[in-house]
Amino acid sequence: MARKLLLLLLTLASCSKGPEADLQYVSDARSVAAEWALVNEQAAHGKLTRTYVDSMHQWLRQQMQTDSSSLSQPKSAYAAEIAAVLDQPDDAAPAQLRSYADRLKQIEDSLESA
Amino acid sequence: MNPLELTLGIMTAVGGFVDISELVFAAKAGSTFGYALIWAFVLGTIGMSVFGEMSGRVAAIAKQPVFNLMRHRLGLKLGLVTLMGSLISTLITCAAEVGGMALILNYLTGWPYPLLALLSVIALIASMWILPFKWIERTYGLLGLMMIVFAVALVAIHPPWAKLAGGIAPQVPPGLSTKELLNYSYFIVAILSAVMFPYESYFYSSGGIEEGWGAKDLLTNRVTCTVGFGLGSLLAIAILASSAQLFGPINVSPEIPGTSALEAATPFGKAGLLLALLGMLFAVAGAAVETCMSNAYAVSQFFGWEWGRHAKPSEAPRFTVAWIAVMLLALLIVLTGVDVMSLVEYAVLFSIIVLPLTYLPLMLLANDKSYMREHANRWLAKALGWLFFVVVTAAAVAAIPLYLLTSGGGG
Repeated sequence: MARKLLLLLLTLASCSKGPEADLQYVSDARSVAAEWALVNEQAAHGKLTRTYVDSMHQWLRQQMQTDSSSLSQPKSAYAAEIAAVLDQPDDAAPAQLRSYADRLKQIEDSLESA
Repeated sequence: MNPLELTLGIMTAVGGFVDISELVFAAKAGSTFGYALIWAFVLGTIGMSVFGEMSGRVAAIAKQPVFNLMRHRLGLKLGLVTLMGSLISTLITCAAEVGGMALILNYLTGWPYPLLALLSVIALIASMWILPFKWIERTYGLLGLMMIVFAVALVAIHPPWAKLAGGIAPQVPPGLSTKELLNYSYFIVAILSAVMFPYESYFYSSGGIEEGWGAKDLLTNRVTCTVGFGLGSLLAIAILASSAQLFGPINVSPEIPGTSALEAATPFGKAGLLLALLGMLFAVAGAAVETCMSNAYAVSQFFGWEWGRHAKPSEAPRFTVAWIAVMLLALLIVLTGVDVMSLVEYAVLFSIIVLPLTYLPLMLLANDKSYMREHANRWLAKALGWLFFVVVTAAAVAAIPLYLLTSGGGG
């Protein structure tokens, strides 16, 4: 019984494709854009060390790239939005990055309710 | 009871309480569900105190380490399965801690991540080789106290205390969709697992035997497990609450561990950032040492080898080879390039599955008057022990389905 249930769950988990499967990457990318904005904002106020800021940029960009390459719908609106974030320079304006995060949040909400 | 020893023990427990998994899940839980999951940390901490106290008492009175008990109480076959499960889950946890150390060092120095992972392992092995047992634990625990900056930062950002206190009561936030409800359940399981990692009781009880605990140490054991773990848990709760206050409203759900340090940088600038990063570094390093030694303790105790850091490395050669091998295997896992956050997810998942099997024999022995005499579990310890056994068993059963249904809490 337990084995059957596990198999069913595994099947269900592996079946989801398309926008629904991409939801977690959109959600990750939304957070990464917002984290990036926060780092740049705090850095502008002189609250962070240069090394920390550079390192965070590197890891956030890497995470965003992973999310982008994991998408099953690379030509979707959210894929374009994630690509646009990746095109930003490391020291992009926090407001700009936050606007991307907000748009990704809207997409995430619409995918969730679909 | 020596007050200095007791104070040092409590401070060590506080500084050593938080590890990479708690850092990750506290920050994520706060940003995603506000203060609504504080109770899961409280529940897990009570459970950890109950089993920690029991394992320390068994070590002091019956002089029995956890894996020796397991072999005798579960039998060789089930004992071996539990041993393998524990070794795998603790090795993954150790790799997550080593990867976490390298990441934090990268935020501090900017040096390449693989090089920092290698240097971290060399430093950890050297410290474990050189320092006497008591000072291995204390060095990392006491330096981990820099994490207190998270609690001070929480006070400085003036959180809504009434709302925060409301999070202590078990609850399901109203208006959650089915998906959000599953995610919330996954976080409960993950937090319980992260707080009650099985390696913590293996290390704690084996440490008690290393230090030659006896009946005179029972009060120290009880105070360390209640006060020390309780105060340590407050640091994790502070990270959760700051995250709810600072990150949740701006759509940040920390995807990398370094984001948590912003909680201290926001009120205190560069000094807060550095204290947070250093505190995180030593707390995570302490957990790396504990996981590594726990695996060596487990395998040595199970097979009846000479074990312990009280002995010279040459006097317990298989134990020495075991802990060095665990550390090198953890490094190897990190160097494959696997993401630290994924390692944390797997560590939490595997650990909760193993948890009931490691706690059951411990509880049975702590109940057994023929071994424990007048120090056997009384009604309160028995009731709490069985209650938490049911809780961790339910969490273990739910862990894999929830992980699959929520893509590891990702939605």
